Amino acid sequence: MFARACSAALIASLPLGSAAEERLPPERGPDQEVIPRRPGPSEPLQYFPPPVDASQVPYPPPSARRETLPVTDRWRIMQALGVKSPWFDPYNQNVLKGDLPVFKDWFVNLGVVSDTLVEARRLPTPVGPQTTDRPGSNDAFGRGRQSTLAQTLIVSLAAIKGNTTFKPPDYELRLVPVFNVNRSQLEEVRALRADPREGRTRTDNHVGLQEAFADVHLRNVSSRYDFDSIRIGIQPFISDFRGFLFNDVPLGVRIFGTRDNNQWQYNLGYFRRLEKDTNSGLNDVGARPRREDVFVANAYRQDWPMLGFTSQATAVLNVNREDNRQLYDSNGFLVRPAVQGDSRAHSYTVGYLGYSGDGHLGSLNLSTSLYVALGRDERHPISQRPQRIRAGFAAAELSKDFSWVRIRVNVLLASADRDPFDNVATGFDAILENPQFAGADTSFWIRQAVPLVGGGGVALSGRNGVLPSLRSSKDQGQSNFVNPGLVLLGVGADVDVTPEVRVITNVSYLQFVNTEVLGVLRNQAPPSKQIGVDLSAAVQWRPFMSQNVVVSASAAALVPGKGLKQLYDEGQRGVQYSVLVNLVATF
Amino acid sequence: MAVPVALVLCACSGGGGGGSGTAPPPAQPRDFLTADDVGAVIARAVAEARARNLAGHIAVVDRVGNVLGVFAMQGAVPGVRITSGLGTGGGLETPMPVVPAALSAISKALTGAYLSSQGNAFSTRTASQIIQEHFNPREQQQPSGPLYGVQFSQLPCSDVNRRMEDGAVGPKVAPLGLAGDPGGLPLYKDGVLVGGVGVEVDGVYRVDREITDVDSDPEELIAVAGAAGFDAPDDIRGNRITADGRTFRYVDSEALVTSPAQAPSLSQAAGALVEVAGFTPASLRAGVAYGSAASGVRADDGAFAAAGGWVLANAAGTPRYTPRAGAGGITAAEASSLVAQGLRLAARTRAQIRRPLGSSAQVTISVVDLSGDILALARTPDGPLFGIDVAVQKARTAMFFSHPGAAAWLSAAPSARYLDASSAPAFAAYVQRTGEFLGDASPFMGLTAWSTRALGNIHRPLFPDGIEGTPAGPLSTDFARWSPFNVGLQLDLANNQLIKAVGGDFSIGCAGRIVGTAIGPVEDAGLPQLRNGIQIFPGGMPIYRGAALVGAIGVSGDGVDQDDMIAFLSVANAGRELGTGLDNAPHERRADRLAPLGSRLRYVQCPQSPFNNSTEQNVCAGL
Repeated sequence: MFARACSAALIASLPLGSAAEERLPPERGPDQEVIPRRPGPSEPLQYFPPPVDASQVPYPPPSARRETLPVTDRWRIMQALGVKSPWFDPYNQNVLKGDLPVFKDWFVNLGVVSDTLVEARRLPTPVGPQTTDRPGSNDAFGRGRQSTLAQTLIVSLAAIKGNTTFKPPDYELRLVPVFNVNRSQLEEVRALRADPREGRTRTDNHVGLQEAFADVHLRNVSSRYDFDSIRIGIQPFISDFRGFLFNDVPLGVRIFGTRDNNQWQYNLGYFRRLEKDTNSGLNDVGARPRREDVFVANAYRQDWPMLGFTSQATAVLNVNREDNRQLYDSNGFLVRPAVQGDSRAHSYTVGYLGYSGDGHLGSLNLSTSLYVALGRDERHPISQRPQRIRAGFAAAELSKDFSWVRIRVNVLLASADRDPFDNVATGFDAILENPQFAGADTSFWIRQAVPLVGGGGVALSGRNGVLPSLRSSKDQGQSNFVNPGLVLLGVGADVDVTPEVRVITNVSYLQFVNTEVLGVLRNQAPPSKQIGVDLSAAVQWRPFMSQNVVVSASAAALVPGKGLKQLYDEGQRGVQYSVLVNLVATF
Repeated sequence: MAVPVALVLCACSGGGGGGSGTAPPPAQPRDFLTADDVGAVIARAVAEARARNLAGHIAVVDRVGNVLGVFAMQGAVPGVRITSGLGTGGGLETPMPVVPAALSAISKALTGAYLSSQGNAFSTRTASQIIQEHFNPREQQQPSGPLYGVQFSQLPCSDVNRRMEDGAVGPKVAPLGLAGDPGGLPLYKDGVLVGGVGVEVDGVYRVDREITDVDSDPEELIAVAGAAGFDAPDDIRGNRITADGRTFRYVDSEALVTSPAQAPSLSQAAGALVEVAGFTPASLRAGVAYGSAASGVRADDGAFAAAGGWVLANAAGTPRYTPRAGAGGITAAEASSLVAQGLRLAARTRAQIRRPLGSSAQVTISVVDLSGDILALARTPDGPLFGIDVAVQKARTAMFFSHPGAAAWLSAAPSARYLDASSAPAFAAYVQRTGEFLGDASPFMGLTAWSTRALGNIHRPLFPDGIEGTPAGPLSTDFARWSPFNVGLQLDLANNQLIKAVGGDFSIGCAGRIVGTAIGPVEDAGLPQLRNGIQIFPGGMPIYRGAALVGAIGVSGDGVDQDDMIAFLSVANAGRELGTGLDNAPHERRADRLAPLGSRLRYVQCPQSPFNNSTEQNVCAGL
């Protein structure tokens, strides 16, 4: 019934009648040049129609009366012709996929993603200080084999108003609950939970709300549908092309839009970060939001400074006021403030100024980000006094495609702190990184969080993070600008072996910039800067040549350099590695 | 039971010399506190106290614990109340200010001096941080402080530490053990550790339970004023030293209201130097230079000279613990080898509590026999002084509880009578509780080898250590009644004699003494194997020859994992080197075979990155 009413309205709105005819342009002679002109300042295209074949049936003149055939609506033409597809078929017209409106121009879009992860790894694992699993555990390091199983179900529910084929939607309401079950197993007690009686396995589950927003299309500002929109609620935000600085699903308000025929894009955002569930990393909306705000202003310019290259300028202000209480994570470990130094709670304010670029330089692909961080930590727990924050970051991926092979070169530099006790912090840290870089989550260093055993409740680097920023937790901890910094030099290749199979390989050399703070936290002579060489390879198999079913398998190992051997026992126990299989099925 | 301070057992004054067979280089004035220095420290503290309208006792000691002067300001409270603030009562907690305030000031000064070294400056605030049920205090689910129990060392009944009657030689006893009440700091002279200052003003002897705030503690501020000009070098203060990533607290505030350099001289201060029986006459004295023959701690010219060891000597300069054979079968050569191994290991070991980074551990190593007699004792030159008494406590504790006679010896000891007149459990009850806890019908009868780490596991108010809501270990006070002044077996063993010492009884022998109704020495031997009390944090290991217990080794002075490793590897290395069958306990006898309530005990833990300039790890595996 709705559909019928809808189509009636559509027919009524068709441009019939003489008023419309009068606005038609005068007819041209067949030899006249046709100049299709786009709005805006672009150069007119030149099109010369071919010579008229005298035997051809002539065009109807624009003024000729047109015949119309009433159909239910434009979305249901195929159905009117008898073509129907089952409700669960996402490849054909489907009301659940926003192909057909459910009411007037309201559409719904349902997405379901199942993500299954099986991961095995070996990480430096401390033995329990109070109690151990086995007798004869005489040293600080225990057995390091670990495994994780995680099943995640992402349900995306969206209601969209607008004639989406032709223009941006007017309204969008979206809700994305995510259901996660995870199980981890270790060979030592107390690494998973603070209470050693919990044993060597941990099963946990969480329902997170990753998106819950209303998006209102405020206005169009040009005939090319340049627009301003506002989005309010829990929403994804990525600060740059590769997610180096802030890649989160915070609660916030964001005004965004385009100008100049989409040549300019901008974001103005205010976000309040949400607490994360410890073991799933998902938003924990049952917990009080964090006392941490992020203010963002950025602008993208397409085809600047050259065709095919997009530049972005960013200013981000991160204000953290978590100086008045402690937070223990759901495993019982203190994560805010981090257990390091005097562990007194502290706050900080950091401004990031950044430039990012992504696109082509001729046949070369370049993606790059540069940031400076300027700010103030009110009282860093190691120096135990206020610190100015002065840090920098640079990363670039240069790649070139040779038919079905892409060769990549990665370079990343994150500045380090030189003296943890002075009044300036010069190690770079992000707000919440999730870098798509240098092998990303198939590389060992980026994927795995390695605890700084014996150096407090901090990890050398966080899970799915590249910065060795010594945070208690990437998700729940505070930024830390007193860290050893990083140099990453890598090469890799993405090989499309067949349309179904892609092989990704990566080799990265990793080095700290200054290990003084590692020396302080472990009370040992600062170790060598050499972290080691991260070797990884992944196979991605898309059996149906689509993203609907993707199976990835990867293996990575970190061949330790001297610095790592001075920190961990892998010289004796064997290299740190991770092996995983990931099945993503998408509806 | 208010106890007058004026009961004088011994009023001999220390001061200078004491001859020596060896001839260490003569002490320079920069190496010790002169009487003028002592006066200046007290005067500065007094001025700060006056400016704050406070009055109290200020004590200054030298590095080896000689009390160089105690000043009682006019209006100073005469007595202190001991309380943790937990409101649990029992143990040493007192409802009334019955403990002489001067003793508190002395213990605080001693603590500042004894916990510090050329590589670390620790204060009584540091001590408070590392003796509580969690480290850091109140950090949930975290194990206890690494030096849990160290407050009950340097006790006035110790046979290791010296008393005023022994002249200037140290290390001296502390009247109340080590203190965790802020207001005790080390004193440095041109970067050389020369002593400590302790301040007692508020009449409360306590610990700091809440360390996440920043205190403005008058006692600490007055001590800071006193230490002005004798400040610890910034780079070695506890707040730059980490254990498991956590820095130690040194002082919370240095916001003085006076300018110490302008403080009027002591002669103008209202108050008087006071005599404290058994500790100091009513005068200012110069300290001794640490390392000089007079200090009683000096470089060895005997068995340990080659390994760079220092030893304890008496006033005549004679080494007190030259290696000898002991009951149980450890030979003099073995005792010597065990300690020498420890010295060599320490030289390689990464220090946990010292700066600059990359320093070597500095410890005291002792070996005892089955009677608790010291067969050998030596130390690295700069080990903190507290480690001398503690190394012996650890060795004796490991020996005692691994000994077949332990249950019987313990059960025969008289119960403790607490200061609040309540009674402790009978020692037989501790044995019985332990048996029930372990599911062992005959605990402490020699079947299990107990390291002090393992014994500490069952001597914590929470089991497993630090986990909220769990029952107490069988040797501990129940958590509801627990405090750092009421820990259980360790205090109960020493309690009676500790109280008697407050009343002036300085007789030797800490454990298992009876409490007398009269003040003065009471003729009881106590437990001869535990003459300086027991210790319940890591660093003590029993030594076996085959299946037979022959003695024990104790190491103290650096991080507890370092202490543990040096003790453990010294035995393993000496056994291997000598080929006489000495070894650590047989694997199947070790306490880590026990898993009461499903939680396995720890026997030993060697630290991460144990040696400097090395990538070696897991060096204790398989031993």
